[in-house]
Amino acid sequence: MPAQPLPDFSTSVRLKYVKLGYQYLVNHFLTLLLIPMIATCVLELVRRGPEELISVYNSLDLDVIHILCSSFVIIFVLTVYYMSRPRPVYLVDYACFKPAPSCRVPFATFMEHTSMICEDPKSVQFQTRILERSGLGEETCLPPANHYIPPNPTMEAARAEAQLVIFSAIDDLIKKTGLQPKHIDILVVNCSLFSPTPSLSAMIVNKYKLRSNIKSFNLSGMGCSAGLLSIDLARDLLQVLPGSNALVISTEIITPNFYKGNRRDMLLPNCLFRMGAAAILLSNRRRDATRAKYRLLHVVRTHKGADDRAYRCVYQEEDSDGHCGISLSKDLMAIAGDALKSNITTIGPLVLPMSEQLLFFFTLVGRKLINPTLRPYIPDFKQAFEHFCIHAGGRAVIDELQKSLQLSAEHVEASRMTLHRFGNTSSSSLWYELNYIESKGRMKRGDRVWQIGFGSGFKCNSAVWKCLRTVKTPVDGPWAECIHRYPVDIPEIVKL
Amino acid sequence: MTVSVETRRSRVTVYAKSTAPSLTPVKPGKTHEFTALDHSMSRHSVHLVCYYRQAPTVTMTALKESLCDVLSYYPAMTGRLVKNEGDGCGEWMVKCNDAGVRMVDARADTTLDEFLATATDEEERQLAYWEDVGSDPYLWSPYCIQFTDFKDGSMAVGISCTHFHADPTCVAVFSRAWSETHRRALVTCPPFFHPWAFYPRKNPVPSSPHLSEKSTIPPPLHPPAMSSVTFAFSASSVRQCLADLQLSNLSPFDALASLLWLRISSYKRASLGTAQLTLAVDCRRRMSAPLPLGFYGNALHFFGVKADLSSGWIHIASELNRHVSGIKEDDVWSSVEWLHERSKEKAFQMYGPELTCLAWDNVPVYNAEFSPGAIPVHVGCRIGNAQGEGLVVIMAGAPGEGEEARTVIVTLPTDLTAQIYRDEAILKYRPKIMFSPNI
Repeated sequence: MPAQPLPDFSTSVRLKYVKLGYQYLVNHFLTLLLIPMIATCVLELVRRGPEELISVYNSLDLDVIHILCSSFVIIFVLTVYYMSRPRPVYLVDYACFKPAPSCRVPFATFMEHTSMICEDPKSVQFQTRILERSGLGEETCLPPANHYIPPNPTMEAARAEAQLVIFSAIDDLIKKTGLQPKHIDILVVNCSLFSPTPSLSAMIVNKYKLRSNIKSFNLSGMGCSAGLLSIDLARDLLQVLPGSNALVISTEIITPNFYKGNRRDMLLPNCLFRMGAAAILLSNRRRDATRAKYRLLHVVRTHKGADDRAYRCVYQEEDSDGHCGISLSKDLMAIAGDALKSNITTIGPLVLPMSEQLLFFFTLVGRKLINPTLRPYIPDFKQAFEHFCIHAGGRAVIDELQKSLQLSAEHVEASRMTLHRFGNTSSSSLWYELNYIESKGRMKRGDRVWQIGFGSGFKCNSAVWKCLRTVKTPVDGPWAECIHRYPVDIPEIVKL
Repeated sequence: MTVSVETRRSRVTVYAKSTAPSLTPVKPGKTHEFTALDHSMSRHSVHLVCYYRQAPTVTMTALKESLCDVLSYYPAMTGRLVKNEGDGCGEWMVKCNDAGVRMVDARADTTLDEFLATATDEEERQLAYWEDVGSDPYLWSPYCIQFTDFKDGSMAVGISCTHFHADPTCVAVFSRAWSETHRRALVTCPPFFHPWAFYPRKNPVPSSPHLSEKSTIPPPLHPPAMSSVTFAFSASSVRQCLADLQLSNLSPFDALASLLWLRISSYKRASLGTAQLTLAVDCRRRMSAPLPLGFYGNALHFFGVKADLSSGWIHIASELNRHVSGIKEDDVWSSVEWLHERSKEKAFQMYGPELTCLAWDNVPVYNAEFSPGAIPVHVGCRIGNAQGEGLVVIMAGAPGEGEEARTVIVTLPTDLTAQIYRDEAILKYRPKIMFSPNI
């Protein structure tokens, strides 16, 4: 075998060091500028000596009024600055619903039920193919009503599922944080497909006997990205109410949404959606800063609904036989990519280090003015974040994002493993992924997490959190009993 | 006991069907192979019904949870039938694909005591839902568990399965393991999967004149409609029986089996002569390397007993006793080896079409306590597809009735059943008549 020419290797190494040096220089520019200046000043002061300094001060001829006015101005400016800063929002803790193993749906059971319920053998074949390539495992769970042949989606069963998942998550959260239900000031619940009267938030107020002046909200119909919308709403409310806390519940109730028909674009949710819920406690109290896990840095929302294609991309409607289902259009991935690009454009300047932003700016200027064929520079988000939680909507979503953000397998591991163990739990999947990262002992103080949610609309929402204290293992949560088995190797196709 | 003349509408309603998975996923690629005995039983099914009084821990939801738990130990139960591609025994094997067992929810429009006193044969049959294999065995659950709620909160648990997988002993041991899992107690008879238990010996002597004869009997063109009746003999009744026989070495089985054989035959033909009875006996413990009670699969040995019925009851009873106690292990092995040779051929009917008797009273069936100290009030066992001259199942009776108590379930052509449960010779011993046919 001919010897590989060394120069290739050495140039790439040289390039790596050049890049590192450039990043260090730009990101720490101010520090690098200030330190020599401060050093010079200190040296100058030390050189001059105390008598000379006193004589300089006397020559300034300051009297009491000058001093008082200057101090007043300084204090005034500082007060205005501190008052106008947004209140920090802390995530004290969160809890995810752990389904009972007796609710699990092995592939063989799912396919058997489908064959017995579905009259059209082509639909059965189609669903088999989806399940084989879905990236789900054998331990994902469906609510009890969906285990019947045929499923029995009564309103009572849907309420029972809601009570099961939501109350379990809240009970766990209360145990972890010592939260008193009477001290909850804000309650936000998001559940897209099940919206009874009274609302799910009223159900929670009733069960836990919350205060009568609680600010409760119930968001329905907002899709799989609604979890981050709830966080955004809670954050906005916490800016207005000092010394408060907010309980945010993200869930999706599967029971009423089993699709009984044969349209292929509507069969996917049957195969992928599973039971899940998350309860999150947010607070803006200063005393919670010491015990909180994370601080919310940014929430960026992008809504592409103005575009007709994006609006009809995930659409709930009745098919020709009158069965209601959610149709997913074929250009879902393209639209998701588009929405992500918009979202990144907004979030980039907020989170990227200066080095990446400058590179992007120069490449943009270069493309516009000098050479339009220059490749657009994709900023390296791995420098802005240590952990990524990508909505586990399906294998395709995770693959697409891994490619477009140039993430490594370890970065998307949390998303893939959550899809395998819990399936697509809709808005709560981001919290299961975060719990995975914590359970693996990877969450250290100072780490930044980027949660990306996609949902009908078409919406792409991002939240950025900063870890305030290292999370020690073992972590009590839905991964507690199975984390040692993960990560698993998920085959491309599981033969059924 | 008077039975209403008009056919009554059944009080049992099935309202939902679902599937129970095991709690722990099965490792992919696991399989379970059948023995020659399993293949020979493939035409039949086993149905075990246990009745329980109301108890706080015995609810449908709690039982379903513990069922999922115990299924983790029985991966063969949650698997599905696939064709045996290799050169193993027989045409079929089980692919342990984790599909789960079928569950059926039902309710009975009456209280437990009322049901036990007045239910018909048809109603008891409805407590163990069963669907025969359809067009695709891969989608068919070989087990079906029915939960029936009574009006007073009592519960009946009906376990049905194909005889391919398990014999009645196996089903009874499973229900015991389930009850122990429900109570969070130690499982005393964990399942023992050992398909090589009945693999032919090094020097096989395949021979079974009885089974060879059975295999040549053509299936009846018009199988008669069958119905059943249950006789519950208390310990004093059985002791009276034995006292009347005056022989000291006879067991309750000998007494009851011979009595029924005699009485059934006397209704079938006017004059009695030499007749043959097929006996089925559990041979787990009769092997020199005894199989544990938890052995999963079939371990029934079928053989014929000839006796001259005109010689009287005592003679018949002693003949039965002689044959049952004199079963030789070599005969069991020969019969197994004969079945192994023809395992790839189509199975023939084992229970019937001639008069058959299942000797099952040596197996404890009243030990499935779902609630501590609360044993079943009654246990019934039926065998599916036993058409022909009839089947007599002799099983242990409720412990409260005494150690010698026996429950006898007689399945006969309908017109014979009507006569047998009014038979004076049997009624002399005052058995409690339950689940008589609706005629």
